[in-house]
Amino acid sequence: MRADPISLGGGWQRRERTLSILVVGIFALVLLRLFTLQVLQGSRYRELSEENRIRVEVLTAPRGEIRDRKGRMLADCVPSFTVTLDPFDKVYTRDPARMDSTLEALAPILGVEAASLRDKIRKERKVSFLPIRLKRNVDKKSVAYVSEHLDRLPGVQVESEPLRRYPLGLMASHLLGYVGEISDKELIDPHYSDYLSGDLIGRMGIERRYEKLLRGVDGKRFVEVNALGRKGEFLGEKHPILPTRGTDLMLTIDLDVQRAAENAFEPGARGAVVAMDPRNGEVLALASKPNYDPNEFSMGITQERWNALSSGGNYPLFNRAIQAAYPPGSTIKPFTALAGLENGVMTPRTYFASPCTGEFRFGTRLFGCWKHEGHGSLALHDAIVRSCDVYFYQLGIRIGLERLSAFMAKLMLSEKTGIDLPQERKGSYPDPAWYDRRFGAGRWSRGIILNLAIGQGEVIQTPVKLAQIAAFIANGGTLWRPHLIRSVGGNDAPAPGDSMRQYIALDARSLAAVRDAMASVVSDPQGTGGQARVDSVTVAGKTGTAQNPHGKDHALFICFAPVDAPRIAVAVLVENAGHGSTAAAPIARKVLEAFFHPAPAESVAVLAKG
Amino acid sequence: MISPRFSPDIDRPLLISTLLLTLIGIAFVFSATSMPSAATEHGLYLKQAIYLVLALLAGALIAAIPYRIYEGKTSYLLYAIGLGLLVLTLFVGHVGLGAQRWLGWGPVKIQPSELAKVATVILLATQLSDRKKDWTQIRNLFWPVLTAVIPFLLVLKQPDLGTSIAFVAILFTMLYWAGLPFLYLFFMITPIANVALSFFTPAWLVFLGLLAVILYRSRIRLLPLLLVVGINLFVGIATPQIWNHLQPYQKQRITTFLDPGADAYGAGYQIIQSKIAIGSGQFFGKGFLHGTQKALAFLPEQHTDFIYSVVGEETGFLGAAFVASLYLLLILRGIRVANRARNKFGGLLAIGMTSIFLYHVLVNIWMTVGLAPVTGLPLPLLSYGGSSLVASFLQVGLIQNVAMRWREY
Repeated sequence: MRADPISLGGGWQRRERTLSILVVGIFALVLLRLFTLQVLQGSRYRELSEENRIRVEVLTAPRGEIRDRKGRMLADCVPSFTVTLDPFDKVYTRDPARMDSTLEALAPILGVEAASLRDKIRKERKVSFLPIRLKRNVDKKSVAYVSEHLDRLPGVQVESEPLRRYPLGLMASHLLGYVGEISDKELIDPHYSDYLSGDLIGRMGIERRYEKLLRGVDGKRFVEVNALGRKGEFLGEKHPILPTRGTDLMLTIDLDVQRAAENAFEPGARGAVVAMDPRNGEVLALASKPNYDPNEFSMGITQERWNALSSGGNYPLFNRAIQAAYPPGSTIKPFTALAGLENGVMTPRTYFASPCTGEFRFGTRLFGCWKHEGHGSLALHDAIVRSCDVYFYQLGIRIGLERLSAFMAKLMLSEKTGIDLPQERKGSYPDPAWYDRRFGAGRWSRGIILNLAIGQGEVIQTPVKLAQIAAFIANGGTLWRPHLIRSVGGNDAPAPGDSMRQYIALDARSLAAVRDAMASVVSDPQGTGGQARVDSVTVAGKTGTAQNPHGKDHALFICFAPVDAPRIAVAVLVENAGHGSTAAAPIARKVLEAFFHPAPAESVAVLAKG
Repeated sequence: MISPRFSPDIDRPLLISTLLLTLIGIAFVFSATSMPSAATEHGLYLKQAIYLVLALLAGALIAAIPYRIYEGKTSYLLYAIGLGLLVLTLFVGHVGLGAQRWLGWGPVKIQPSELAKVATVILLATQLSDRKKDWTQIRNLFWPVLTAVIPFLLVLKQPDLGTSIAFVAILFTMLYWAGLPFLYLFFMITPIANVALSFFTPAWLVFLGLLAVILYRSRIRLLPLLLVVGINLFVGIATPQIWNHLQPYQKQRITTFLDPGADAYGAGYQIIQSKIAIGSGQFFGKGFLHGTQKALAFLPEQHTDFIYSVVGEETGFLGAAFVASLYLLLILRGIRVANRARNKFGGLLAIGMTSIFLYHVLVNIWMTVGLAPVTGLPLPLLSYGGSSLVASFLQVGLIQNVAMRWREY
């Protein structure tokens, strides 16, 4: 059947015939279809177009449930009522003014301004044919009233929708996030092309990060309605599309530990706690204070309340565990020590030239030790246990900024931890290039190394980063990417391939020296971390007190336990609370107690209710 | 042979059906925007009339200049301009319905994909009219396929799946016309059919069996045979594997991509409303301007994508069938012109332009009567829109150009 490409006539004529027949066939199908719709089924469609109306009812998919690692519910869905209005109802297309009287009648019942309802309808009717949600989570009394007066409220329906609920209220709010209506800005973003105005979307935390999994897929059905109300399902097209509920998530969070962390703060205190498993990077607790109640957002939040939460005083929406960075203070000292040991500039038995007299002269400047009467002459172990600044000034000078910042770069102190939560900020550990950029080449004093060695000055870190590096010492050299998902939809979450971010082979003797000293911080009567002692468990830790130019010092504490085979690493930060030993260590103790000695199940249930 | 400027060989049925459809279009753009609720769109029919004047000028101009000047180097230049505009659209284009489809200078907005289709046809006609090449040889297909695939991908990126497939339709029609055996075209489609069927194992097995029989009967050579079998086996086995390994959000992205409006704009709902509108027109229609359904539902698109359902509602089976027949006439005349032309480039040019009409009319009308998914393609000549109208007249003008000079070799 090979055609001669040069031949005209013959070959082409056959092609003309074949193609023409194909085209006629295509149009014959159109005519057949038109005949079916207009002549055979015409009267049925005429009736539909004159008397009735097909409207779409969206069957909202319930969001996936979120549970803690032991299966305790953190976020679920409950049925609720939503009042909707169909702006394409025939009454309104014939007489647009009727819309106003409907809205005037509805506004007081729903407790919303008629003007704001009108705006909402004007905006949303442009983008979809769906009935518009006037109000979610309508109370039973209003539902009853609306249902009784449907004949005077054309196009209005009461629909059942799942409502996001956080049964524990304030608990773990920053971690979970909340849901809210999608914004106009997001709606025009192609990433959200499958959202409609009025749809809910996760905000902050797990709700945001795992929105795609949690959301599910809405279904829909076509319903025939006439002036008297619903006539029933319209089965002319495909059968109703049922919603697919969102995927359930089980978190690595241990509610006992989370609760202990949140309850450990004094009322009104500000701060954060992050606890993780040093063996794999699973986050056991992540708390930020003050917190907020995500239920407020699901139920429909007022503008004033939103303003109060987002900007008022203590910024309760701000997740201090991942969004705020603080000077780490003395909690950095074990790492400065590791840098010294690993670079071979000292040994655990090294004594420096100047014993601690409470102050240290560097050039023309005097640098004080927090203990004004001085620590005398000491080596590494006691320097960490008693947190002697003068020892670390001299260690810092001996390591030098190049080597010290290079070691901290291996710990990724100027990078994010990569935790699976949105909006994490990164900390910073400056290097010479950073100072050159900041102050100009050579225009900064070598004295900055003294401050860096004790975690003051230009170094800032987030609480989650501090927990990550505490875990690093606990597990002997691995930096895990902190992560929050234990299983997805009932299947074990595949360990994220990149969850190990860095492994640094450390000399076993250096590691043992630092760990030993950190254990003594808690166990030694002279140690600064005595308040973190827990019955029958050995704890290693380090206190920190970060100078704060804007007010009272921030209190910090990092720790891990048990010392021999660590299963938990914790970082605690309390804003403007003074000393790490008195303000942060006791919070860590409560977290460790909850982890090692959890309360019996009954009392947990009681607490959950309250 | 001589070719007088106003040749009696101008194709009258083609001319008349084109003009008639355009006038019907303006009338129904008027009707579709006449409701009180569409106050902002009341003047659109006048704008469409102005576009018509522009389109007539462009069409007449392009018909007057002998089509042979587009052959060869010019076709590459036109094609390069078309692609340039498409690339520009991706970077600075205006977003409409979630895709970057428009390019604008001040008040003027054009849809470059319309021009790219015309330019692609012209280049393909140049390539495929090369008499030195045997179009039954698979290796010769490389350049034509590349010519269609580049604009296909650029439009796909916008993303506008419906329009991008037009380039595939053009390519296949023109390859067929150039002499590629029907069987080869069939084999080129099989991997796509394979992807779609691979999720339903029984259907897939039937498909593979059928393919095997056709391959056996066709007695093609060993290498192409192995190629077809290999690609099909690979695609059929790999697709479900890949699909199962995708994250839920990736799957969702693909489904939204293939079926863009599916849930977001209630596409299923639009189809129902379109069917109610057309069906309720019954045999004689509700009368011009007396449609009731149009006022209700298709708010953004009734004067563009869904204009045929307004025709169906107001003029009934009689009018809808008449309009469909005008399109049928237009396309059959296009094929006739292509067949009659003695010059191979001319014939390919005419069939390529005709294939653009065929694809758009087919997809749009099938959509409005519920036979095809919602794609967002306009109905040429009838739908409101300047770019589409001018492009349609360029296409008709080129077909007429070939018709007037059919004697030339």
